[in-house]
Amino acid sequence: MSWRNIFTYNKFAQITARAVRQSLKEEHRVAAEKRGLTAVRYQQWESGQGGAHVLLSEELAAKSSK
Amino acid sequence: MSSLRILSSVARRAPSVLGRRGYAEAVNDKLRLSFVLPHKALFTAQEVVQVNIPAESGDMGILANHVPSIEALRPGVVEVIEQTGSQKIFVSGGFATVHPNNKLTINVIEAAPLEDFSAEAVRANLAEASKIASGNGTEEEKTEARIEADVYEALQHALAK
Repeated sequence: MSWRNIFTYNKFAQITARAVRQSLKEEHRVAAEKRGLTAVRYQQWESGQGGAHVLLSEELAAKSSK
Repeated sequence: MSSLRILSSVARRAPSVLGRRGYAEAVNDKLRLSFVLPHKALFTAQEVVQVNIPAESGDMGILANHVPSIEALRPGVVEVIEQTGSQKIFVSGGFATVHPNNKLTINVIEAAPLEDFSAEAVRANLAEASKIASGNGTEEEKTEARIEADVYEALQHALAK
């Protein structure tokens, strides 16, 4: 019934943090919004050779639109 | 022999049962607060009188010599009472840990003093979140909106007082 069945605690904490950031006064909100941005980029390595750089958010977007 | 000492110390004052106090430690009876965010430390081992925290299990006040405990925090107001005055800070949720040596650590992701919030923005956000929560999106979207709406309601409640 609760969010625990759907989200991890990490996701829950990010959602509440985003809600708090969006409720700040204008001058604080702009700086705070930047803090909410997270990005992960990874590279698969095999026998000493690095593969292509994959941006995690782009990969997830491509997967969900497939 | 030891039972006699325990008896007399109990009679002398209300003790913290877990702590074994030596004679020279009477000075350090203040609660030391470390209130940190990922990007900023609001308090670092600051001596305070009392801290009120919004735990998941209910609101609690932490004083010096509190029993060691770990509490998950819900989105709400942390009130820090020092000798010079008190501050109310709204937190997005996290954890509060009381350590055995009179140290309180509060770790949250986002926090700001109540003065930094805009009641107008909260009202608009709450209306939008409630609309999504009762609309017809996916279960995930609705739950996400429900979580946000709870935070905005807590904020409104805190700002209204």
